[in-house]
Amino acid sequence: MADSKKSIVTRRMLLKAGAAVPLLGMAAPAVLAQAPLKSPTKILDFMTNADVAKAEQEGQLVFYCHENEPGTAGIMEGFRKDFPKINTSYVRAQTGALYNKIVSERSAGRFDVDVIQLSDLAPAVDFQKKGGYEQYLSPETGAYKADHLSSPAGSFFWTGVDPAGIAYNSTKVSAADAPKTWQDILNPRWKGSISCKISASGLQFVQWYTLRKLYGADFWKEFAKQNPHAFDSRVQLFDRLAKGDDLITAIGEYPAYILFKDKGAKVEFVAPADGLPATPLIVGAVSKAPHPEAAKLFVDWAMSKRGQAWYQTNPNLYYGSVRTDAPPMPTGVRLGDLKLLYPADWDDYAANRDVFAKEWNGMIGL
Amino acid sequence: MPSAESSFSAQKFAGYGVAAVAAVLVLYPVFFLLQAALDVGDPQVRPPTAYGLDNFSGIFQYPQILLNTLTVSVAATVMSLVFGFVMAWILTRTNVPGRHLFEQLMAVPYYLTPLLGALAWSLLGSPESGFINQVWRALGGNDHLIDINTAYGIAWVMALFEGSVAFVMIAAVMKSMDPALEEASQIMGAGRLRTMLRITLPLVVPGVLGAAIFVFAEMLGSFAAALVLGTPSRYYVITTAIYQLVQQYPPKIQIAAAMGASLFAVMFFMLFLYRRIVMAGSYVTITGKAFRPRVADIGPLRYLLLGVCLLYLFAAVGLPLITLLYASLQKIAVAFPAADNWTLENFRIAVTMNAVRSALGNSLLLGFATATIGVVLMGLLAWLIYRSRLPGSGLIEYVVMFPQAVPRLVFAFGLMWAWVVFPIPIYGTLSLLLIAYLTVFLPLGVRTIAGVMLQIDKSLEECAQMCGASWAFRVRTVTIPLLVPGLVAAWLLLFIASIRELGASILLMGPHSKVITPSIVESWFGTSSELTAALALIQTLVVAIAMIVLVTITRRVGAHPVE
Repeated sequence: MADSKKSIVTRRMLLKAGAAVPLLGMAAPAVLAQAPLKSPTKILDFMTNADVAKAEQEGQLVFYCHENEPGTAGIMEGFRKDFPKINTSYVRAQTGALYNKIVSERSAGRFDVDVIQLSDLAPAVDFQKKGGYEQYLSPETGAYKADHLSSPAGSFFWTGVDPAGIAYNSTKVSAADAPKTWQDILNPRWKGSISCKISASGLQFVQWYTLRKLYGADFWKEFAKQNPHAFDSRVQLFDRLAKGDDLITAIGEYPAYILFKDKGAKVEFVAPADGLPATPLIVGAVSKAPHPEAAKLFVDWAMSKRGQAWYQTNPNLYYGSVRTDAPPMPTGVRLGDLKLLYPADWDDYAANRDVFAKEWNGMIGL
Repeated sequence: MPSAESSFSAQKFAGYGVAAVAAVLVLYPVFFLLQAALDVGDPQVRPPTAYGLDNFSGIFQYPQILLNTLTVSVAATVMSLVFGFVMAWILTRTNVPGRHLFEQLMAVPYYLTPLLGALAWSLLGSPESGFINQVWRALGGNDHLIDINTAYGIAWVMALFEGSVAFVMIAAVMKSMDPALEEASQIMGAGRLRTMLRITLPLVVPGVLGAAIFVFAEMLGSFAAALVLGTPSRYYVITTAIYQLVQQYPPKIQIAAAMGASLFAVMFFMLFLYRRIVMAGSYVTITGKAFRPRVADIGPLRYLLLGVCLLYLFAAVGLPLITLLYASLQKIAVAFPAADNWTLENFRIAVTMNAVRSALGNSLLLGFATATIGVVLMGLLAWLIYRSRLPGSGLIEYVVMFPQAVPRLVFAFGLMWAWVVFPIPIYGTLSLLLIAYLTVFLPLGVRTIAGVMLQIDKSLEECAQMCGASWAFRVRTVTIPLLVPGLVAAWLLLFIASIRELGASILLMGPHSKVITPSIVESWFGTSSELTAALALIQTLVVAIAMIVLVTITRRVGAHPVE
């Protein structure tokens, strides 16, 4: 890494009290309807409230996930290795498309999915408001700060964090010439050779929001003059970077950087001193799941140290864990070592979604 | 023998029965699609809370995208028709060496899919990292030799792969044409070129027009090539714009649906023109008079034409496959790899992915079911539209063409909403994909069969009728035997089309009903071009084996179609 700073995690409360009250009201019936929890049991090296025998009897877990195909398959592989009697299947799509799919299905009375993972907090909160999540308080919840749980706890949790800095092709750009700060990406020398993500990306929305707060609305207007190329996934961005099709990417995700470094790609990562925009990756069991015990077991597994280690070390995931006792990432860097930028006001963030989509679509040539 | 009255009843029963099936398949999801296009309320609330035309006026906020779409579609259609016509003429009307083999190979670009072609040509022709441009610079050239990330680059790739569709449609017509007409022209002193332009070309006008309409509509709805090749240069067409609009949260489905619905008008206008042309003249080339299809001896010229065939197939098949193989064996694909860049890891990962483990099997199963059911359904529809005298048959043609006029990605939303609320639980199953394929491929199947059916002189059926044959007897003993080449072509086309289908599948496949092409797209989005290349090659290999088996079987059926 060319530059990294000590941790100043700027994350504040997940939701303001004003938003939390109606959420509580919406979620209350589900909580009240829930049967009293039995004592947690230990399975492998983690605690669960799920009935493991019953989960194995259900024999199936259906997972909806925003992650790319190898990443989604990787998550399922980790769970299946520990619970081979539970078959896994999944649907993956971008968060926007995935969320639209599940909402359409549920409005038509279809309940085919057990667990959902999204890369954007805004649709997760919306889903919570709709009563989409099962209220399930995992015995592993204690290892997470309140900021990294739904409000109230029990709907979803942060299974990881995806931070982004600037990345560049080191054969075409020298370290001296590479951008050091976020403002450096506005240098006209990068015009036509800089990339970003499309507006469906949760992380891109976070980056737009947080840097706009730091540098003002004109920052992105200036960026638009660079004629950036927009792509779906972090792998596409690094694929192009590694081959020299783009010189720099304005949203170089740290997990993709590690993956491509492992492959021997000539890419480098820059962590600007002002911080790295980061998006939470949200996991929750859904209500009316066809395999409810398997869903609870998965949530417990994903929250556990064991599951988090899998998420954090799988090459197609490399999620930074927010567990209070999480070990460092494979590079030796701890999530806490990075200065992460989250929206200070998640309500304001969610309310700006349409403004972002309109500006971003126009900027990338749509 | 049944009376004429009961025969008419059977005809009516079959005709209206199949029309009802087609109407349900198409109009049921179209209703939901139009509902979305007119929905100006909260996009996440269904049914809509408010209706209006704002979504249609919103389309004009995207003039550049409309222009891009038209540019690419027209360019790709013209190129496809040139490829298709030239190849069809060479392979059906001349004695070029190995023409039977080439005829089979012409299907390969189609099942190789534009996605794989686009991926390969992206590796070859990207301005910076394209292999061709790397070689060019290594030889001392400046900048880049070719740029595939342009409108004409996209059109080139589309045409290479859709050219085989045009070929199949035009070749089916040419095969059924009595060569006596061309021979008469040559006896009267016309040269080969003049005969081709003055006799062959006018006679195949319905086939060429059918192919033009089909290919143009296919280009309007084309997604993969524009996605892979257009996105890097910020060149969006309607489908890639729609994809971006429906992917974001909250999704802009209403405007996407309005874009799709607007294409109806374009397609209807083309269909209207097509019908006017067909109705205006007689294009019957199969008559009661016996003939044996013969090919012209073109002397040494045949070796030049052999070169044309080889060149086309190299650009559409050989070069992309070699490129994909070359890329799939590298960690990071470059033209001049270092020794430590070679790897088999991409293939190892590929075989562990769902895309290979279950999706490929599902795709083959669906291809077989779609083609078999589709040929029966679409054959009956073609007869209903072009041969029956039942009232309302013209209207059915418009209904059948609906899916072709809408990008499948958009049509899939209508299908999803339609079948998610359907009381029988088929949502998320292979049955839903089967219904979707039968719906979206109605135009393809009907057009292919109709191209041949239009050439069959009605007098043959009328003759049988005068002899007292019932409708069912006439269809079985006269119409179907004459149609066998067209039916075989339609079966293969539907099989291939199902396996390579992307737009509808990407939204409708469930956790237990994955299919191959969307899985490859997902791989392209989320993995690397090297791993995607490996997946594509595995798909190609498996489908190639399936095709060889099927072609061997169907050739026996189609070898002597007219007894």
